[in-house]
Amino acid sequence: MFRDDPPALELRGLTKRYDDGTLGVEEFDLSVPAGAFFGLLGPNGAGKTTLISAVCNLIRITAGEVLVFGEPTTSLETRRWIGLAEQDINLDRFLTVRETLLYHGGYFGMERADAEDRADEMIDHFELRAKADVAAPKLSGGQRRRLLLARALMHRPRLIILDEPTAGVDFELRQELWATIRALHAGGTTIVLTTHYLEEAEALCEEIALIRAGRLIARDSAEGLRRHYGAETLEGVYVKAMARDR
Amino acid sequence: MTGNRGLLWLARRETLRVSKLWTQTILAPVVSSILFILVFGLSLGDRIKNVSGVDYDVFIVPGLLTMAMVQAAYANNASTIFQARYDRYLNDVLSAPMHPWQMTLGFLIGGVYRAFMIGLALFLLAVTLIAVPVQEPIALFAAVGLGLVLFASLGTVVGIFADSWDHTTFINNIVILPLAFVGGVFYSVDLLPSPWEEISHFNPVFYLVQAIRFGFLGESDVSVWLSLGVCAALAAPAYLWAQWLFSSGRKLKA
Repeated sequence: MFRDDPPALELRGLTKRYDDGTLGVEEFDLSVPAGAFFGLLGPNGAGKTTLISAVCNLIRITAGEVLVFGEPTTSLETRRWIGLAEQDINLDRFLTVRETLLYHGGYFGMERADAEDRADEMIDHFELRAKADVAAPKLSGGQRRRLLLARALMHRPRLIILDEPTAGVDFELRQELWATIRALHAGGTTIVLTTHYLEEAEALCEEIALIRAGRLIARDSAEGLRRHYGAETLEGVYVKAMARDR
Repeated sequence: MTGNRGLLWLARRETLRVSKLWTQTILAPVVSSILFILVFGLSLGDRIKNVSGVDYDVFIVPGLLTMAMVQAAYANNASTIFQARYDRYLNDVLSAPMHPWQMTLGFLIGGVYRAFMIGLALFLLAVTLIAVPVQEPIALFAAVGLGLVLFASLGTVVGIFADSWDHTTFINNIVILPLAFVGGVFYSVDLLPSPWEEISHFNPVFYLVQAIRFGFLGESDVSVWLSLGVCAALAAPAYLWAQWLFSSGRKLKA
């Protein structure tokens, strides 16, 4: 990455007020450099999912601007650059594993031959070959989680957003998913990760932003945050940061 | 154009869903409509010799075909969109690089496909069983097209606004089905006493039944141009309403 590259993700004055009056985020500014592995930490309701939804065209933003690699996300071309694995397992119940990947590729403009090759690649990578013709509701929890990640990567996005990708998975699968995510990052993909597992954020993220009540509290590397808050662990940082800002 | 490939895959997904569930989506409505034709046509056919000079079993086919198709177009889109919202896999479409009009059209194609397959099956059975003619194929094609756009769009709108499965079936059971029954499916409204005949003219399904009956039999209770005009005047805003919901994100995006 070069110094002049536009940030992978830039939020300028992002505000989201929901129809019931709840403020999701307010005047939120954030810049994530291209190629970064960036973590978003905060309690439930802090605004993490609101931020992600704003980037992925899943909410109507009240004010502000979202840029991905310097382009507004209102542009269709920009949406091709974003891959999202949501926190909830939101797989199409009528499609098999293979169809899930193929149709996602199609929605994102992939040519059929390319989508078929890529789907095979994803099926093998995520060890779903034996389940390729099985419908999503018949998969185990771990297989669904893998398929969700495979779908997010299917169209080769430049920015991947992972909303609690390891929530509820066992130790082995978590290690497996970590390895995949690390490999993606090593290949130059920008990753934005939200998680409730602080050790996950510390192990994976180069930089971490702490969010509370729709506002950015702090942002630094895990080491920098520990130093700033005078804490020995990221858990200690988290507790102090959330308490101090209350 | 950007997003056209996405549109094709979305339309394909919608038709695939219909095909995978064909016993529910196609076979069941075809069987129930054929039962209507057999029970009403054959049992009452001996007592009611003809309506407006047409054998009764032939007379009821266009209306029954209309009823089956519009219910299917509505139910398909209401259920597919509500399910996609409920399970949240709609997000995969909403986040994709597609224009809102492409999303609207992709979903619309699914409802039109399902209704068309039902109509085709019923048509073939009706031609085989009771030799129903097609006197005005262009008018028939136009009426079916407008009717399906109207009811598939209505299904899309309801699927977007619905908060439960009950809401999607409520509109079908309380609005569409009664309007179809009193829309001249089983009788000519000319036979109704005043004011029921006049009141029937405020029923939009009446005009669709008349236009489709004209396509089959070459005659109807009102001018085919009036029927097609009313259908077009309803189909256009219904489609634009569905399109506006995708463009604005209202009820689809928080």
